[in-house]
Amino acid sequence: MSVLASFDWSYIWERREVLAEGLKVTFELAAIGIAGAFVVGLLLGAARAYRIPVISQLAGIYVELIRNTPILVQIFLIAYGLPKATKSLQFEFFTVACVALVLWGGAFNTENFRAGFEAVPKRYNEAALALGFGRIRTFLNISLPIGGRIALPSSINTYISVFKNTALMTAISVEELTNVAKQSIDLDFRTWEMIAVLAVTYLTLVWTLSALIRLLERRLALPEER
Amino acid sequence: MFGWLPEWAQPVAEYVLHTGLRNTLIIAGVSVLLSIVVGVVFGTLLTIRFLPVQAAIRLYIEVWRGLPIIVTIFLLFFALPTLADELHFSALNLDTMRASILGLSLWGSAQIAEATRGAVQSIPKEQHEASAALGFGWVGRHTNVILPQALRRLIPPLVGLSVGVIQNSTLASIIGVPEVLEAAQRSTNRLAVPTVDPTTLSIEGGDSHALEIYLGVFFLFFVISFPLTRLAAYLERRLAQ
Repeated sequence: MSVLASFDWSYIWERREVLAEGLKVTFELAAIGIAGAFVVGLLLGAARAYRIPVISQLAGIYVELIRNTPILVQIFLIAYGLPKATKSLQFEFFTVACVALVLWGGAFNTENFRAGFEAVPKRYNEAALALGFGRIRTFLNISLPIGGRIALPSSINTYISVFKNTALMTAISVEELTNVAKQSIDLDFRTWEMIAVLAVTYLTLVWTLSALIRLLERRLALPEER
Repeated sequence: MFGWLPEWAQPVAEYVLHTGLRNTLIIAGVSVLLSIVVGVVFGTLLTIRFLPVQAAIRLYIEVWRGLPIIVTIFLLFFALPTLADELHFSALNLDTMRASILGLSLWGSAQIAEATRGAVQSIPKEQHEASAALGFGWVGRHTNVILPQALRRLIPPLVGLSVGVIQNSTLASIIGVPEVLEAAQRSTNRLAVPTVDPTTLSIEGGDSHALEIYLGVFFLFFVISFPLTRLAAYLERRLAQ
């Protein structure tokens, strides 16, 4: 196998600064995407679960639109379509990438949190109301900690997908890890070296996050399920 | 057929629907079929208590499920051909279409394998024991008794997977397969170039119509996916009863 024999470790080392720069952009995209997806999912998920009029219906439409269309089409629509509607919607592509990741993750997370809040047994809320808690305090003290825990594993799965989706920003030439590696391949034809870097990096991070889910699931299980 | 559309949009609709949608459906269709065949076999094998097989299939699932699909497609399209030259094995020289289909199938089969394992293990032990008592071997037991029951539980995730594969087939545009998204993108690029009328020398066009075209693609995918996700949700509810 001369491909294996010719595998050039020093090439990866040579490109380390460019790759690290790409990884940094990937992390920035993922951090913004995950944080945004958390906020959007929490707010709209609560609005869905408690059937807050108008917001709940609009959130429902938003969720269906995003979940039933490819994220790549959403990216292109935001990057190239919206600026044609009004110039004020013209953003640089890093911003487009963040908006697309938040919109996408937020839609999936809305469903995660909705399901979580709806799974909180009614008797808990009734007990809180009987103790004289108001509706908002009932939500903050009962539904949020319990429903949030129920929603946690599925929402972490969404965050993992958001992280993997950062690789798609190659299509709008944001300089994240996949794009940087691809540019290196185009330049030097050291294909296997760069693909190996991509595979090892993504798998390490995705596997670590999945292991974290299993750990959290056990740690945060509700006392009655332990 | 597209006579009701404005003049610039007629060739775009023609190209996106005839060439683009056709390729999208071919990619998605073949990928779903491959995913089901490989996924059901691997998922069933995963329930056998034989460590080397379990470890190999587990690794397959975790790798292809863990990688972003675009990285898998890059691996198949850019890296594999170098091996093809090396080994004089030209089958590894995948064209863009095959690389996309294979990339989506690796991902899809990993999802199906995991779902199949769950479905097979959810069949009560008594079913295994009863069919063993009837004299079925492992293969007969699974093909005649266990899998037919497990497949019923697999239908909702299978419909869900089809939606995922259809949506992810747009990744093929990144390596240049003219599926729906790539066809749309080429159309916007073509329209963006102004043309000079040879008789009057006036400059015409130059508008990419990106908003209309990408909105059209957006709703095209929505119209395909939405009924399927509703169907998956309905099947899941019916199964839960």
